[in-house]
Amino acid sequence: MKFCHEEIGQATRGMMKRRTLIQSAIATGTVATLSPSAWANETELNIIDTNVSLSRWPFRRLPLDDTQQLAAKLRKLGITTALAGSFEGILQRDISSVNDRLVSECAGFSELIPVGSINPNLHGWEDDLKQCIGDHAMRGIRLHPNYHGYELNNPRFLKLLNLAADAKLFVQIAAVFEDVRTQPDQLRVADVDLTPLIENHVGRIQILNWRPRGELVEKLASIPNIHFDVSRVDQTNGVAAMLKTIPESRVMFGTHAPFLIPEASLIRVHESDLPDSSLSLLMNKNAKTFLTG
Amino acid sequence: MSDHDGTSFGLPSAEQLKSDLIWDSYFLPSYRDFEGDMKRSQRAIEIGNIEKLCYFAHVGIGTTTDAAFEKSRRETPDLISAPLKRWPEKLLGMIHLNANDVSASLDALNHWIRDGQMLGVYFAGGGPGSLPCTHKNFNPLIERIAELKAVIMQHTWHVTGGKTSPGHSLPSELAELAARFPEQQFICAHAGGEWEKGICAVRDSPNILVETSGFDATAGFIEMAMRELGPERIVFGSHLPSRSLGTELGKIVGANIPDEARKLILGGNFRRLLRRE
Repeated sequence: MKFCHEEIGQATRGMMKRRTLIQSAIATGTVATLSPSAWANETELNIIDTNVSLSRWPFRRLPLDDTQQLAAKLRKLGITTALAGSFEGILQRDISSVNDRLVSECAGFSELIPVGSINPNLHGWEDDLKQCIGDHAMRGIRLHPNYHGYELNNPRFLKLLNLAADAKLFVQIAAVFEDVRTQPDQLRVADVDLTPLIENHVGRIQILNWRPRGELVEKLASIPNIHFDVSRVDQTNGVAAMLKTIPESRVMFGTHAPFLIPEASLIRVHESDLPDSSLSLLMNKNAKTFLTG
Repeated sequence: MSDHDGTSFGLPSAEQLKSDLIWDSYFLPSYRDFEGDMKRSQRAIEIGNIEKLCYFAHVGIGTTTDAAFEKSRRETPDLISAPLKRWPEKLLGMIHLNANDVSASLDALNHWIRDGQMLGVYFAGGGPGSLPCTHKNFNPLIERIAELKAVIMQHTWHVTGGKTSPGHSLPSELAELAARFPEQQFICAHAGGEWEKGICAVRDSPNILVETSGFDATAGFIEMAMRELGPERIVFGSHLPSRSLGTELGKIVGANIPDEARKLILGGNFRRLLRRE
């Protein structure tokens, strides 16, 4: 199923709810056809960025922390769809209102798909999850275990994974948000220990912002429902090396914008000199498959 | 490989990159596998249109923990300058100094800079040759470096939680050193890593420039450095191959800055320090 300009125009004028349209597109695997740039040139990569955040980073103003500016930059870079979490979900405790604001903000931008925050250490997190599923028709949620203070063998986390899987939601786990060496002195947060995921990995999971290293990579690479992004993979051949260790069907493009400069991840992919078939998977197809479940 | 060119991936056009005359002040091939790391970096150098790259040679004065390597460089000094001969159009060189061995470092300055092709010095932030840059051993070395009109690259990192090794230097310590030698220019490598603190620490030291590599492509860095230091005090470094062109060039081309400022950062300032304008 494809949508024409006219249908999109109607949707934005309220005759068809835009969110419904996007959800339909996701369900039918046509996410990337939604953006104007995608229609404009079918030969473009139609890049799906699985890792952006909206609102304000608590510790610094960022050049692209205005959604309008971020969306314009993403468009300029050929990113036609982006999974958007919220910086507010990291430290704020009224998660319900965080997710309300995220959905409201995304509603103005056809390329942004809201990804709700859930903190299983807060009372009533199940209700927050229900809100994501029912009220907002979200396709996925994003977790910040290190900022929220739980390990990945915590029973509430395991329950959350199961509930998300039952609702066919994907789960993004931000393994890192900021390099521990540059965090504020009094607000230091260690990277998430991903080791328990080897045993606990229900549903569609994507690890964000991780720099693959050590034996853990191979163990996680062997688990078919665990996916990765490339936003903080470094070294000049880092992305190519990652695709030698992890099946290329499970690595997705992400920028971690606006915290990181979005060009960085894009240039790094180009630097890795991948064949077109791998590029297509990394930049678009894997994310489409991940979104549609 | 893909037919898509760099402009599909956030890079400026090749023409623009060429006109920027990019000189990399911080190229980091391993001394153990220089050739391999040159190969590994080749793609990034090509797509980034990097004109020249400056590496830091170990010269056998105890700046590594590899005894066999140190011995080989003392016995066969030609090995030290071999990369400059192999890639004369591409490479520039500076030498590691050992702040714990002033005498050997002074000899090395004379041999490799006064009488040789090396253009400056690198003070590491860890390893057997490193000391905090406020140490008194730096005084005779900086005096001699100033006489030779050479460039100084001082490794700095402001790590949350404190220093990570006895030889670790902070941007604030470099500011102290720079105040003792107001006529000498210093490059604050990595802008202190935690660049908000790093930039503030060197802001009032007009003879310190910040180098841009060595930390994630955190947004806002170049904009703050432009605001607090001005474009003349920012020097591009690639940190290849252990970091990526994406991370390091991305910081500059992804920043919202005027063309002239970008050209200064990507090469003009480093050429000015090297007196290669």
